[in-house]
Amino acid sequence: MIRRLLTVLEPPEAALLRRTVAGLLICAVLQGIAFALLVPLLRELLGDGGISGALPWLGALAAVFAGYAVAYWSSTVSGYRTGAGLSRTLYHRLGDHVSTLPLGWFTAERTGGLAQLSSKGVIAVMGVPAHLLRPVITAFVTPLVVVALMFAFDWRLALASLVTLPLAAAAYRVTGRAIDGQERAHEAASAEAGGRVIEFARAQPVLRAFGRTVHGHRELDDALAAQRASGRRLLLRAVPGFAAFVFSVQFGFTSVLMVGTVLALGGSVDAPELIALLVLAARFVEPLIVAADLGATLRIADGALNRVQTVLTTEPLPEPAVPAVPSDPADTSVELAGVSFGYRPGSPVLSGFSLRVPARTMTALVGPSGSGKTTVTRLVARFFDAEEGQVRVAGVDVRELGTEALMSRVSLVFQDVYLFDATIAENIRLARPEASEAEFHRAARLARVDEIAARLPDGWDTRVGEGGTALSGGERQRVSIARAILKDAPIVLLDEATAALDPENEHAVQDALAALAADRTLLVIAHRLQTIASADRIAVLDEGRVAELGTHDELLALDGRYARYWAERSRAGGWRLTAAPETAP
Amino acid sequence: MPGTTDQQQRPAEHDPPGSGAGTTEKAPVAIGLGELLAPVRGRLVLAATLQALASVASVVPFIAVAELGVVLLAEGPDGFDRERAWWVAGIAAATMLAGLGLTLAAGALAHLADNDISLDLRRRLAAHLGRVPLGWFTERNSGLVRTSVGDDVSAMHHLVGHTVTDLTRAIVVPLVSLGWLFATDWRLTLVTLIPICAGLALYARMTGSASARAGFEEYGRALARIGSASVEFTHGITVVKTFGRSGRAHRRYTEAADDLSSFFLRYVRSMFRTSAASELVLSPVFLLLWILGVGGAFVSRGWADAVDLLPFALLGLGLTAPVLGLGYSFDEIRKARSAAERVAAVLATEPLPEPAPGTESEPLGTTVEFDRVRFGYDDRSNALEEVSLTLEPGTVTALVGPSGSGKTTLARLLPRFYDVTGGAIRIGGTDLRRLPAERLYRLVSFVFQDVQLLRASVRDNIALARPDATDEEVHAAARAAQIHDRVRELPGGYDAIVGEEARFSGGEAQRLSIARALLADTPVLVLDEATAFADPESEAAIQDALSRLAAGRTLLVIAHRLSTVADADKIAVLENGRIVESGRHAELLAAGGRYARSWAIDERSGRWAPTAAAPLTPEAAQ
Repeated sequence: MIRRLLTVLEPPEAALLRRTVAGLLICAVLQGIAFALLVPLLRELLGDGGISGALPWLGALAAVFAGYAVAYWSSTVSGYRTGAGLSRTLYHRLGDHVSTLPLGWFTAERTGGLAQLSSKGVIAVMGVPAHLLRPVITAFVTPLVVVALMFAFDWRLALASLVTLPLAAAAYRVTGRAIDGQERAHEAASAEAGGRVIEFARAQPVLRAFGRTVHGHRELDDALAAQRASGRRLLLRAVPGFAAFVFSVQFGFTSVLMVGTVLALGGSVDAPELIALLVLAARFVEPLIVAADLGATLRIADGALNRVQTVLTTEPLPEPAVPAVPSDPADTSVELAGVSFGYRPGSPVLSGFSLRVPARTMTALVGPSGSGKTTVTRLVARFFDAEEGQVRVAGVDVRELGTEALMSRVSLVFQDVYLFDATIAENIRLARPEASEAEFHRAARLARVDEIAARLPDGWDTRVGEGGTALSGGERQRVSIARAILKDAPIVLLDEATAALDPENEHAVQDALAALAADRTLLVIAHRLQTIASADRIAVLDEGRVAELGTHDELLALDGRYARYWAERSRAGGWRLTAAPETAP
Repeated sequence: MPGTTDQQQRPAEHDPPGSGAGTTEKAPVAIGLGELLAPVRGRLVLAATLQALASVASVVPFIAVAELGVVLLAEGPDGFDRERAWWVAGIAAATMLAGLGLTLAAGALAHLADNDISLDLRRRLAAHLGRVPLGWFTERNSGLVRTSVGDDVSAMHHLVGHTVTDLTRAIVVPLVSLGWLFATDWRLTLVTLIPICAGLALYARMTGSASARAGFEEYGRALARIGSASVEFTHGITVVKTFGRSGRAHRRYTEAADDLSSFFLRYVRSMFRTSAASELVLSPVFLLLWILGVGGAFVSRGWADAVDLLPFALLGLGLTAPVLGLGYSFDEIRKARSAAERVAAVLATEPLPEPAPGTESEPLGTTVEFDRVRFGYDDRSNALEEVSLTLEPGTVTALVGPSGSGKTTLARLLPRFYDVTGGAIRIGGTDLRRLPAERLYRLVSFVFQDVQLLRASVRDNIALARPDATDEEVHAAARAAQIHDRVRELPGGYDAIVGEEARFSGGEAQRLSIARALLADTPVLVLDEATAFADPESEAAIQDALSRLAAGRTLLVIAHRLSTVADADKIAVLENGRIVESGRHAELLAAGGRYARSWAIDERSGRWAPTAAAPLTPEAAQ
């Protein structure tokens, strides 16, 4: 664990950590020596020396305490500093590294895990040098020092105290292995129960509406009962092991006591010496048991550190050493040439996919879900790199263009809009902080965000809440479009919203999109019929290839997939709801 | 938190019905910790008793060792008192064994009690959640459910599993030790207590001072800041990266990290002197030095016997450990307490009132009547004001209006997501509040945009309302909802588990939920029209399914596109929580009011499309 900590730390902090550990070791050793001093001290006090004989030893004890205090002081200070430095380093390294990862890495699951890791995980790791190392080191080192010194006084008693070690170690190991499986089972059962709880809450309307009231959701109750059963099994499995550990630790005390009594009664060991050694043996028991308790906390921190390392070792998106520069600055075309790509090996989403979007034209992507529409736009924005073939923007392979140059040319307007917990104005401005007031207001007006700001209590300074929860879905889209307008990139990748908006919002969003689309190269995942029909070209995707390509009229004339799709969608668009049975046109 | 409201044990009984939505905001903690833990109280008392015995037993070996010293030092002319020596050694070994055994038993008992109370609390929470108003389940509260049922109940672990026994030990061990020490030599006992009291006083001053508390709170805020900065950084990174500004969110995040780090240093430094002094004074090394030094002085003056120092060297060192241990787990205890409070707060949420037995009444017919309905989500403003509307059996009524006009709220009152705050909703002449929930939901079902499928077999999902439905009935419903063929293609068919073996697209899930409603076959149906357009890939299939579902029922439709409901029997136009117009499509167009204007906007937006060819000037966009 310490070695692992050293690998993630910067050199000055690593030195600090080493100093902390050294200080803690000194503390533990001095503590052991202090305990061992009891032997001569008690020998003098209880024996013939009396107080005058004990004085030098008391002096020695005082000296040890002084050393202990200094080591304690400095190791605590450096422990805190290491902890603080550790958290700073881990946050910075996580932040820096995560910024270089491909956009495709950020799935919902990963971002959730990462947020958890960087809030709770780092704090847990930070606690290791600050709080956790001391009791652990003390628990193991002090008894060892005491035993070593006991050999100097009486090897038989020292040996008697040692019988405990192999027993305790074996018990610790066996228990660990025995509960390992149970622990995993319990974790799985808890996760299952957690999932059922969320489902229960989320599906409450449906459960209740279909008569599953109070005791209706059997699956939840089963999962909760299973969670309890696995917890119980874990406990019952852990108790004998823990008992074995505790008893083997105390067996050391008992054996010193018994052997010591025999020896003392036989006259081969002095009473004061025995008493002192018994005090030492008794002092053993507690720290070891504390250490066993701390094991769990230490494991949590270790797990977090492990996950931090996993993130830090994830391959970043390769960047070109010297970014290529497009030969024609006015070229804003997008092209995919013979591209193959899959999220999992063996199941390609795109295979040999080719499509060219000439500069300043609009191409609509149409096709069933799973046909690869989203993947195409993600590859252009370099969420991932293609496995085969080339993705070219402005005539240059995106891998050679470099992230910065690529991002300066492309705007993304996707369905899941993330807004920062800041004001509306700040959320828009982040697209181009150096933009003038006039440019900002123009973008906001074109995206019709000015109407939203006018309605809100604090106007442009209204905070939108984490993730933009204070705004409706349509309003969030408008803010995201305003961002794209302000950014003013020549290429726009647009994923049209599927969810229905109320008429006002829908109208506003469409106005905003029109403003964004003007004079740009557009690649649109299109859902609305009007959008599709107005595209310069329509690409019908099927199973990772372009099945049909052409203008609306050309494709209708082809009477293929697109024509069927169009007919069906048109019929759906005119649908009217009535209570009279079967009035569909 | 002293006295968290045992006096509020009873939730206010005279609250108006349907104020459930409001109570979540103020969330009175009406349930005390004692009541939460009542089911395991007996076992906890037993665990505490065992721990008390264990604590006494754990002190005895030290006393015995001291006694052994006395025996061995008192070597008479005829040698040691062997018998007494073995007795004492035997007692030491036996009591240590007994102490550890009892400690283990107490710990195991407390942990088992914790395991059981966890189940009990989770069941209570689930049962309670099954009775709170549906409207309570907002996004925020769903998160609350997850944390309370999952994390908070787990966080109470320390309170049940450890605190009871730790506290017992922290009280009994010092008491027994001090008792014995006083009996041995009261003056030396007082001397021993000096550093201990000084250390504990320092410790108390450190944790209890106003600046420490302020620092602790500040630390909590710094933690919260880094938490939200982390969430923002990780969730927002795709946004900032696409704007080529990784620096921005990144800066906020690293600033929060640096703040936390430097605050942590400042905070521990401010307390460091006191805490280090306290820990050093209480450290075994110092106590040893103190006891033997001062004790030595006592001996040399003849105030005490050297042998009498033994119990002090043995017991004095052990006095502080349990108390300090309690101090270390203080943070855990605090977290557990606030977790318990949150659990109690959820349990204190007011359930939707059910009619008292004997006051139910049976509806005559299925005419739905909104009678001067008033409703507000909070006390400040009303979302609905004096809304009166009648749904005749077998007719379609559409609710239209801008977002925020109250149409969704009004529709949700019918399946009792909330209760009205004024007026009444009646089915067949019976007030909804006098219908038992089961009866109500046999009359009213709903299909909304957010589909809720359970992680259960496809069959169980469809047959949710009627688990006893035959396979034929389930298949017929699926066929009518245009999802039968898709289900048949699944490897497990109707037995495939949703979310595991079967993954459905939005439109397919929508059709499954329609099949569910078809099988439930209620006479009244509340429908969100957006459902029909929720998935562009399968609009036509969903619409056919919806048409079948609507046939012959009393329908209340939340409409977003006016064209869809142009054939409705009645269209009610809402604005600011009131019905401003109602009638048939043609009548409303002729009236030239709000509806006619919306219709015009709707028509216009239907013709628009983005084009790269036609550059748009700012003026043209207005």
